[in-house]
Amino acid sequence: MATTDPSSAAARRQLANMALFLGPATVLLFMFFIAPVVVDVFVAFTDMGRSLEVTEFTTANFERMLTNDSRIGPTMAVTFTYVLLTLGIFNVTFGLLLALATTAVPERSGAFFRAIWLLPRMSPSVVYALLWAWMIGPTDRGLINQVAVGWLGLEPIDVLSNQPMLLIVLANGFIGASMGMIIFTSAIRAIPEHLFHAARVDGAGPLAVTWHITLPALRWPLSFITVYQTLSLLVSFEYIWLITNGGPFYDTMVFALYVYKRAFENGQYAYGAALSLILVAIGIAASLFMWRLLDMQRLLQTPRIEVQ
Amino acid sequence: MSATLPSLQRARPASGRGQADWDALARAGSRRRAIGQGLLMAFLVTVSVPILLPYFWMFTISVSARTGGVESAVLWRSIGILVPAVLALGFLNLLTEPGIRRLYAAAGIVVVAGTTLAWAIGPDLHLQNWAFLRDPNFVENLSGRGAGTVEAQFPSVWTAFGNSLMLAGVQTFLVLSVATLAGYYLSRFDFQGRASFLQALLVLHAFPAMTLIIPIFLLMHWTGLLDTITGVILVIATLELPFAVFIMKGFFDAVPWDIEMQALVDGASRRRAFLEVVFPQVKVGLLAVGVFSFIRGWEEYVFVRTLLFDKQNWTMSLYIFWVSDDIMGVDYGVVAAVGVFYVAPSILLYVFCQKYLVQMSLGGIKG
Repeated sequence: MATTDPSSAAARRQLANMALFLGPATVLLFMFFIAPVVVDVFVAFTDMGRSLEVTEFTTANFERMLTNDSRIGPTMAVTFTYVLLTLGIFNVTFGLLLALATTAVPERSGAFFRAIWLLPRMSPSVVYALLWAWMIGPTDRGLINQVAVGWLGLEPIDVLSNQPMLLIVLANGFIGASMGMIIFTSAIRAIPEHLFHAARVDGAGPLAVTWHITLPALRWPLSFITVYQTLSLLVSFEYIWLITNGGPFYDTMVFALYVYKRAFENGQYAYGAALSLILVAIGIAASLFMWRLLDMQRLLQTPRIEVQ
Repeated sequence: MSATLPSLQRARPASGRGQADWDALARAGSRRRAIGQGLLMAFLVTVSVPILLPYFWMFTISVSARTGGVESAVLWRSIGILVPAVLALGFLNLLTEPGIRRLYAAAGIVVVAGTTLAWAIGPDLHLQNWAFLRDPNFVENLSGRGAGTVEAQFPSVWTAFGNSLMLAGVQTFLVLSVATLAGYYLSRFDFQGRASFLQALLVLHAFPAMTLIIPIFLLMHWTGLLDTITGVILVIATLELPFAVFIMKGFFDAVPWDIEMQALVDGASRRRAFLEVVFPQVKVGLLAVGVFSFIRGWEEYVFVRTLLFDKQNWTMSLYIFWVSDDIMGVDYGVVAAVGVFYVAPSILLYVFCQKYLVQMSLGGIKG
């Protein structure tokens, strides 16, 4: 490869390669990740309403947020309860139980049960919500009531009106548990086999092996799942929107759903943008924290071929 | 308790307590192990039934419900037949040796169960609930509804099906091509700012895009992409991108340097080495990311609900949402049939490609 000016030719080729390989990703990420953050901050300081037009710049949205919106407190409380319960019961604890159980039974059965638990995650959210609506139907037609009334002889149970929080925790937890299950399973798989053999030769039973060998190896995955799932539970509202729509009254109105409804149902886009700045801030903080959790050294090791 | 423990100790010279003790211990150990395994299986079956049951119920409703009611007798009858049959097959598998006789016994169980099933629920089965596949005006034709209710007019299900297919397909293609290019470059090239690019990508991967839905809506409005499928494709593909780039980078990292180096030594350019030597090595990665993106695009609801309005642009998720919203109280059968029709591609794709999907350990956007 003989050129008259090797350094500038190489530099040109490097730029061309970069534009070809990295260009499309950069443009898309800029358009739909970076630009929206800027737009959100901009719109939060305007009076944009249903007409989507900006007539003046104002801080009224923030004043309203801080002094004049009595819904924020209750929705935050609902969000906190919902995230804590779902995360504690399902995403971490039950995910861990599933991973431990499915790795302790023969491999084929374990894979089968893991596949069943991934089914809700893989099915469309509208269908999943529909199934819940049929499960909890308040008359004796609902699947739960067919069992409760028809088999156990109880009064019909109306979950949606009486236990809405339980309902959204269950509905999200059935999906959330599978993520922890997958991560924990691969972490358990990565534990060297000889540790288990050594423990058993030393006379440890299954519970002692789990406590002294498996759980210590899961410390990092456990903290990862806790942070990651806290974040996704805080900001996602899809299933709550579909199953309870925030009701009855405001009993299951989580903050993210409240923000969405303010913007798209009440047409208060500017106020919605101001409210979602809180979510964006939580998102940035948590993702920076997670970035510290992840093993960056391995990720950043430099490539070895230096030909352009 | 592992069965290897007694046998290991038996290898030592027999102590004064004699051989028989060790055999008893071994028996007790394997009995305890069998009980433990049984309990674990019982636990897993118990917690998995509530997940499977609703899906099965939706299927039975779709082929048996008549207008005005929810058919559940068919569900319980078929469960009453299928559960014993599955249990019998399981025990047969556990208790007998593999061979031709076991095969005959299994076939016998299947035939008996099938005949009983046909006798017990056969007369209740029908396909009327699937009329929506042929007739776009099926809602007006349901009994108890007058024709010409304006809000009851839906686009043909095939319009929605085509839109969903296009959304998921084009989105998958976009994600795959962009993420492959970026993943390869990040895996193989050293350039200024590589570390910060990777760090930014990692933060974006963790960052919940759902929080940006209001500004994304506004951007679409300003660029004229609102209410176009192109706009939704661009948005969803971008949100998938950080994750896909990382997965593809991981697959490229796993390709040995030597083959690429060999191609370079033989005189290929970096681009040619990428296309002809490295690219064919990451097919599994492409399949994994592709299936994941497709399922993700197929099931998308929040963004399509927010960014698409025109009935001709409805995807399957909007179609089933409005159908169920409109006729839920009147006809569960049709809603269930649409549900089965919508969920089937996801489940089939998932079942057949599961072994590729589990290769991506870090994934998933939902809570």
